[in-house]
Amino acid sequence: MSSLVSARGVSKHFGQVRAVDDVSFDIEKGKILGLIGPNGAGKTTLLKAVLGLTDCGGDLSVLGLNPFRQRKQLMQNISFIADVAVLPRWIKVSQLLDYVEAIHPNFSRARAEELLRKTKVRANAKVRELSKGMVVQLHLSIIMAIDAKLLVLDEPTLGLDILFRKEFYANLLNDYFDEERTILITTHQVEEIENLLTDIMFINDGKILLDSSMDALGDQYLELMTSGDEVTRARGLGPIAENELFGKFVMLFDGVAREHLEGLGEIRIPSVADLFVAKIKEARR
Amino acid sequence: MIGHQLALIRRELQEHRAIFVTPAAIAVIVTLGVLAMLMLASGFAKELNLALFSAQNIAGVGERRAALTGFFVGTSSIFVVALMFMTVFYSLDSLYAERKDKSILFWRSMPATDAETVVSKLLTAAIVIPAVTAVGIWITHLVNLVVISIWVATKGGDAGVMIWGSVSIIDNWLAAFIIVVASGLWMSPFIAWFLFVSTWAKRMPIMWAFLPPIVLGLLEWIVFRSRYFLTAIGERGDMTPLFHALSLEQFVEEERWRHGVDNISLLEHMDLVGFVTAAGFWSGLLVCGILTTAAIYVRRFRDDS
Repeated sequence: MSSLVSARGVSKHFGQVRAVDDVSFDIEKGKILGLIGPNGAGKTTLLKAVLGLTDCGGDLSVLGLNPFRQRKQLMQNISFIADVAVLPRWIKVSQLLDYVEAIHPNFSRARAEELLRKTKVRANAKVRELSKGMVVQLHLSIIMAIDAKLLVLDEPTLGLDILFRKEFYANLLNDYFDEERTILITTHQVEEIENLLTDIMFINDGKILLDSSMDALGDQYLELMTSGDEVTRARGLGPIAENELFGKFVMLFDGVAREHLEGLGEIRIPSVADLFVAKIKEARR
Repeated sequence: MIGHQLALIRRELQEHRAIFVTPAAIAVIVTLGVLAMLMLASGFAKELNLALFSAQNIAGVGERRAALTGFFVGTSSIFVVALMFMTVFYSLDSLYAERKDKSILFWRSMPATDAETVVSKLLTAAIVIPAVTAVGIWITHLVNLVVISIWVATKGGDAGVMIWGSVSIIDNWLAAFIIVVASGLWMSPFIAWFLFVSTWAKRMPIMWAFLPPIVLGLLEWIVFRSRYFLTAIGERGDMTPLFHALSLEQFVEEERWRHGVDNISLLEHMDLVGFVTAAGFWSGLLVCGILTTAAIYVRRFRDDS
């Protein structure tokens, strides 16, 4: 597999604060990677480093380029949505298309207009006249009309209602993603993107807590719901997290084989949200 | 590169509509003012005896030419003052507003470098806004000459001789264009300073634009008892190298009674070669280059914060 993004010992400090602290990872072509972390974990700083919006220590290569020094070349093959509110509010939709068409060599205006025809966004409307959901549709139409190798999404659906959020991800999967494209996405609404992801990375206090494929996750982590006398036996296997729920105990195990848990209660693969909470609590202990 | 610049400058014009609206508003105000004056003059023509555009009342040819040129210079100066304010506010806003509304994150998601972006804003402030202003002056001039001609014709005067024969349109228009474009180049160190402040200041760019130079000037006075810094800034404001020596009063006085001259020439009073070969012109461009480079450098590290 070829790495689109390769990070080795990447760090970014703001004074005494280590926003990103000596992280190493690879992102391969054709993946949808979820970067998950609590507020202030370093997600946005890491994304900005990948996008060349900030410099950083260590070795970071994106599409074989130094993102900070070769940002113009990089941006020809990367798209990103940083936030739903970043489209300039004064601009008309048609002016925005004119601009991107003039600046971006890989932008297809016809494709963008085709995508926009499926929405209520009109060419002569100004961005400030559009609802938040329509702004996202506009932004996504532009992004999806760019033939980019890597798409970076930083909280792309923040503040949107559930209908727009579902539509956003459905469009992304159905009309954009293929094996030639890679998506890196951060969001707090983990449960909504869980089924889209091929890979996942947890970050906390600037350090990577977990870097795994979703397939491997089920082999590594198991959740057990148990009660009664089995609780003590289960605790003996060293769960990384434990919660009590309606008189039952839910325990999360890291690297414990399924056969060791069988007979102790109900076993299932933990949700990303539960795993995330467990890993964060474990890191903070 | 050129295609990117054109797209970036077009974006500036779309965002900052004051670049067009302000000259258009001045044009309307000037034209309405002239109309009001003509109506007033027509009502009291005999009593007033001399209303600037009641060209029939201006006895001498030289005086008439001076009056029309005075009108042109006077109205142009309104545009130049507006140009000054527009340029200051545009430059201070251009790299600050994009951070304030977070749109910098969108602009930076496009394959346009920070250098291309900052240079497009510099070109807009130093070249495009003055050029638009020049066009505003031309249109205002033309419209008002037509208005005055109609007024003169209705009074039985020969507008062809009294108005169009007394004003050198090409001379005036070329002079207006040179003055406003030269002013953009001459003031380019200030523009670049404002752009630098615009990209650097986290809030209140207008304060950061003006306070440090004032404080620096005061410190120089307190420490060295000299005023070189503030004097240098002040002297850049008067466009001296473009003119041999000129004030509007001197100009009208000199030109009013000149005989044997078909038209009063503003261009004759300019020293274009002296302007572009002046040390101040090139040192200004050097300072502009340094500050623009600093603005580009700072923008590389800027996001929506």
